[in-house]
Amino acid sequence: MIVASSARDGNPAHVLRVAHLAKHYDHEAAIADVTFSVIPGEVLGIVGPNGAGKTTLLETLAGQLAADSGSVFWREEELPPPRRKEALFYLPDGIRPYPDRFAAEVLSFFASVYRRSEAEVAATIGAVGLGPALNKRVHALSKGYARRLLLALGLLTPQDVLLMDEPFDGFDLRQTRNIVEVIRNEAAKGRTFILAIHQLVDAERVCDRFILLAGGQVRGIGTLHELRAQTGFPTGSLEEVFLALT
Amino acid sequence: MRSPRASAFSAAPLYPLLAKELAEIVSGRALWTMLLLVCPLVGYSFIQAVSLYSEASAAASQSPVLAASLSPLDGILVPTFGSFYVAVTLLFPFVAIRVLGQEKDTGALRLLVQLPYRSLTLISLKLVAVLAAWALVSIPALSALAIWVILGGHLALFETLNLLFGHLLYGLLVGTIAVFAAMISDGSATAAIIALAVTIGSWVLDFTLAGRSGLSAWVAQLSLTQTLRSFEQGLFSAGLVLGIAAVVFGLAALAGVWLPPGTPLRAKLIRSVPCVLMTVAALAIAAQIRKSVDTTEDRRNSFSPADQRLLATLRLPLIVTVNLSPEDPRYVDLQRNVLAKLERAMPNVSVVLAGSRRDFSDKSPDNTYGEIEYVYGNRSDISRSTSPREILPLLYALAGTEPPAPAPGGEYPGYPLVASADATLLWFLGALPLLIALGWSWSRRPSSIHASFVKGGPS
Repeated sequence: MIVASSARDGNPAHVLRVAHLAKHYDHEAAIADVTFSVIPGEVLGIVGPNGAGKTTLLETLAGQLAADSGSVFWREEELPPPRRKEALFYLPDGIRPYPDRFAAEVLSFFASVYRRSEAEVAATIGAVGLGPALNKRVHALSKGYARRLLLALGLLTPQDVLLMDEPFDGFDLRQTRNIVEVIRNEAAKGRTFILAIHQLVDAERVCDRFILLAGGQVRGIGTLHELRAQTGFPTGSLEEVFLALT
Repeated sequence: MRSPRASAFSAAPLYPLLAKELAEIVSGRALWTMLLLVCPLVGYSFIQAVSLYSEASAAASQSPVLAASLSPLDGILVPTFGSFYVAVTLLFPFVAIRVLGQEKDTGALRLLVQLPYRSLTLISLKLVAVLAAWALVSIPALSALAIWVILGGHLALFETLNLLFGHLLYGLLVGTIAVFAAMISDGSATAAIIALAVTIGSWVLDFTLAGRSGLSAWVAQLSLTQTLRSFEQGLFSAGLVLGIAAVVFGLAALAGVWLPPGTPLRAKLIRSVPCVLMTVAALAIAAQIRKSVDTTEDRRNSFSPADQRLLATLRLPLIVTVNLSPEDPRYVDLQRNVLAKLERAMPNVSVVLAGSRRDFSDKSPDNTYGEIEYVYGNRSDISRSTSPREILPLLYALAGTEPPAPAPGGEYPGYPLVASADATLLWFLGALPLLIALGWSWSRRPSSIHASFVKGGPS
């Protein structure tokens, strides 16, 4: 087991702490003994190849998948799965919510639920660049716009921690950089992001810290600087660090 | 800094969720397709019903007795809504499944369950959307009633409302079963198979076991179709309504238990047990409630008001032993004309069906077969009649009371009408489908929300 920093455990500055989370499918461990914590305004990247357990980790964290063991604490208060949605909002990968409805209607629904003003919604639309797709049905959106819609929905939610599975999937380089900027701006306002990313280059662009996941096991946690120190690659990229640790 | 607050969940507005559910069901093709299919189905049934009613009315024009037997409830309403019942049984599950199945299939449910609503709230509003869908698909049948009135036909308010209420409950029941099927299955296709297995299976059960006795009769009682029978006969039965409500609430509660992802199967099963037990208990209580109201204008389900009042004062237990087999037409007559009415009118009636134990292989003559014994207090009498005209005086004699004086007037006049509804084929096959198609097109119009977002945005 690798812990981000033992000194961080029990620190009330942490918005979220995950302790010994584990999930098995039959007799195979999807994630094993995952422990980490995040602070407000931090962007934490869960990095690993396909099948590493990133999605399972996010789903168990969000309470959408029953964990075999482990706990999640919100400001040191244990948060059982049914209450996770009070603090976390999870945007799954590969979903197209309400395909027969217009993108604007789906946004309007979320905005009404959370009593967002039109100005707030307009700002969110502008930030993610969803404007040209508002009057299209969700099923007719390109992969990139569908992803922007999901991101916009996530940004309209008030939860402190936003979990996103593969947030850059479907974006080209320029779009990715735009979305990175959006996430960084939100994080600067105090919102915490936990992102599951399999593209290490993208992860390096946006994340403050990384959890390196392989085969359901945490192989390293820390900033790129800390991970470089662990591996002895003082100028190594995240890719090189990842290969060294897994 | 924000913190998780349960209070924020209870304060979330319901209107956006309800509006979303209604818009979702209206935006689906299943609803509009069903509406289009219901038009010719209901239209044909209505035109046939009017035609047959007119033939009977023409024959009754010279006979007040025959005219008195002509009730629009039997002649028009039940056949017209009978075809609607078929459509609801076969097609409505597909419409209702969409309120949950679509969200499961597209992943939207994974977002929905994270919104600040309780599971039961989510399910309840989905059922409201199902009810709204039922109201929409009933438009062709309701338009048939309007046409009937325009043709000069008579509609009795209470019996019509009672029948509509029965169909609404049946639609809600089918819809709730479909939503629950969508909840427990992995996709809409599986949910459709489960829901249709229940609705069609129950339909088959109803007519294959009709007229049987013993266990078969008990099993036939479980058929969903049975829920409509009382309403079609013009009876508003409190026990039946409570029973249907219990099943609807029970299935909704179960769907609420099964909705949240991330709950282990074992926990879901354990949480389901109280729901099932409470539903069974509510059904048991409902089965004991005999209170019912005869909503028919011709009072077919009750004796005359004077008889009803007098019978209600007979407090001692009445035991009726019937030496007839349940398949015997005489028993059916007796049950409909006398026993069912007595059970509703008197506070304490027990019926023993002795004839069901008759051994037909026994060739020896059974002189008691066909006899009906009435025991009231310590007095008894035997009759073979199935008519209340003979049985009620017998009962009054047993009770030692004088029969009530017959009240003059108040007889049901009957409502014969010679009319042709053939021209309404244009409505059911032309105008109404066209209006539905326009409604469908209107429901798919581009949203006006875009402009308001742009207007409200930063300049």
